[in-house]
Amino acid sequence: MRKAYLIIAILAHIFCFSQNKQILYNFTSIPQSLLVNPGADVSYKYFFGVPALSGISANFGSSSFSAYDLFADNGVDFNDKVRNVVNKSSDKDKIYTNQQLELFSGGFRIGGEESKSYISFGGYQELDFLMYVPKDIAILALDGNRDHIGKSFNLGDINLRAEVLSVFHVGFHKKMSDKLVLGGRIKLYSSGANANSTKNSGFIYTTNGTADQNIYYQYISSNLELKTSGIGAFTKDEYDGNITKDLIHNTFFNGSLGLGFDAGVTYYYRKNLQFTASIIDVGFIRHTKDIETITYKGSYEYKGVNPSFDFTNEPENVLDDFQKAIPRDTLYNKYTTWRPAKFNTSVEYSFGESRFDDGECSCKTPNERLYVNAIGAQFFAMTMPKDPFVAFTAFYKRRLFRKLELKTTYTVDSFSYKNIGLGVAGTWGKLNMYFLVDNVLAYRDIAKANSAAFQLGINFVFQDSD
Amino acid sequence: MKPADISKFATLLVLVFLSFSCSSDLDFDQIDDLKLEPIVVANLTYFNIPAKDFIDNGNENSIVFDAQDFNPFRNSLMREDLIKAEFNFEITNTINRAYKIDLVLIDAQNNTIETLSFNIPAYSGTTNILNFTEVFENQRLLNLKRLRKIGFVITMAAGPALTENSPGELKLRSAGTLNFDIEIED
Repeated sequence: MRKAYLIIAILAHIFCFSQNKQILYNFTSIPQSLLVNPGADVSYKYFFGVPALSGISANFGSSSFSAYDLFADNGVDFNDKVRNVVNKSSDKDKIYTNQQLELFSGGFRIGGEESKSYISFGGYQELDFLMYVPKDIAILALDGNRDHIGKSFNLGDINLRAEVLSVFHVGFHKKMSDKLVLGGRIKLYSSGANANSTKNSGFIYTTNGTADQNIYYQYISSNLELKTSGIGAFTKDEYDGNITKDLIHNTFFNGSLGLGFDAGVTYYYRKNLQFTASIIDVGFIRHTKDIETITYKGSYEYKGVNPSFDFTNEPENVLDDFQKAIPRDTLYNKYTTWRPAKFNTSVEYSFGESRFDDGECSCKTPNERLYVNAIGAQFFAMTMPKDPFVAFTAFYKRRLFRKLELKTTYTVDSFSYKNIGLGVAGTWGKLNMYFLVDNVLAYRDIAKANSAAFQLGINFVFQDSD
Repeated sequence: MKPADISKFATLLVLVFLSFSCSSDLDFDQIDDLKLEPIVVANLTYFNIPAKDFIDNGNENSIVFDAQDFNPFRNSLMREDLIKAEFNFEITNTINRAYKIDLVLIDAQNNTIETLSFNIPAYSGTTNILNFTEVFENQRLLNLKRLRKIGFVITMAAGPALTENSPGELKLRSAGTLNFDIEIED
């Protein structure tokens, strides 16, 4: 039952966002859009996020199956469902979740009223989990090897990473001219817990033996490695603390440290034709706290327990031989992990100048007039242990009122071919609120969703006119 | 539109959105039904004794033997989740003598659990592959799970004399087929 709760907890945790924040990207009415492009064209006199409420995001994705496929209350035997899920998955299918909670954030303009240089800063907590479907291992567990003679079960299918960390960052962006905005951000990572097993290889192989061999030729080649930091203490029998409490403490005050940066640019080819690009989380974490690496490395041909009748042999133990050939080793070496780096780029075309009857006259110079509509396309890529994750998005933005903006997105990625996202961001007075939901079609039946994500937050933003 | 109206509008949007959201009935307790039933094949034992090995300093050795530690049931999966084991033996004799092969299954106290005996007729000019199957279930399987050691005793029956140059060999190949029943909720 504990395992059941664990899986439910993982699934439940998941209802947060995907690292691809396609709705937030370049949604410049939201200060947090600076987190996905530090060179976004965001301006303010100063802003601060409502602590713990300024940026809440979560997402999950499972490229080959949904919660419904496994847990539907439809009378189908659970074991058949598991088998179906395994059969329709490949070793490139993945289960992914990411959750972020912004603890504090803020920003201010530097250098006086005419200046267009801005500082922003903040801290957030992040949880990241990625596992590829270990298809061959699942088949071996479900079927065994009898019906798969001649098949090589790939141990490289075991591929996962998980991390809980906190991130503290300071960014700077400057509107260099009417055409160009540049920005960058330095990040300090503090990893409370990390598990990493992404470079496994090896195989388990059984085939029919030749006449001068035993019935089968059986060979195991294993190159398995699980690196952990911040987890070892919890697995010890003598540990009697509170895991949640200790994990939070480690994440913020006693984590393994790392450094990274973000960079971004916005360029106006014309006033209504804009290009942007950003690269996020180019950085590493050096794992030094409570580190433990477990390896199973070696190879062994299993021939059976074979007698020798020459009276001189030492007693042998074939199972001991196996354990000597592929020993479980525990190492305590520091190691480095790279953060999943993300790349975004977009092109946006705006049209339809605003004529809002909001008390402000339309006597502004054409340069300061707002456009009502924008359409465009975005591309997202993120490094992953196997192939990179990529997504294409088409979007339409519409300003309903001067300070209420909608964005709708259509995204194609490996989780879904029909991901429609909706976002709304509004500012009334100094209060800025946003609510972004990914994959809205899936909400007709969330259990059948292959991915879902939401983000929301509340900020106070002060402009010059305020 | 006043700020208050916008706020109402946004709230309405959120409510409308949430009211569209729903979920099929899910039953996470099903995970308790998870039952793995893999069928695993593995080599058991192999030997190939040339005729000359039954000659020692010119004299016939009518009995050869060996014992090997073999305790697969120290593994909890083997101990608790194995529900059936089938051993298949394939024995080929090309020596002009008959043999009896005894596999003695021995427990931790050096007591014999049981002896698997195979009588092999002498080679008569045509290759004769003999197959034997032993199935372990229920009480016989429970007994087998005490296994710590296998003794191999090969007894040669009387017949035409062997020399260092006698042709032929006595070969045994064998494998086990193991049926597991692994339940998550134990």
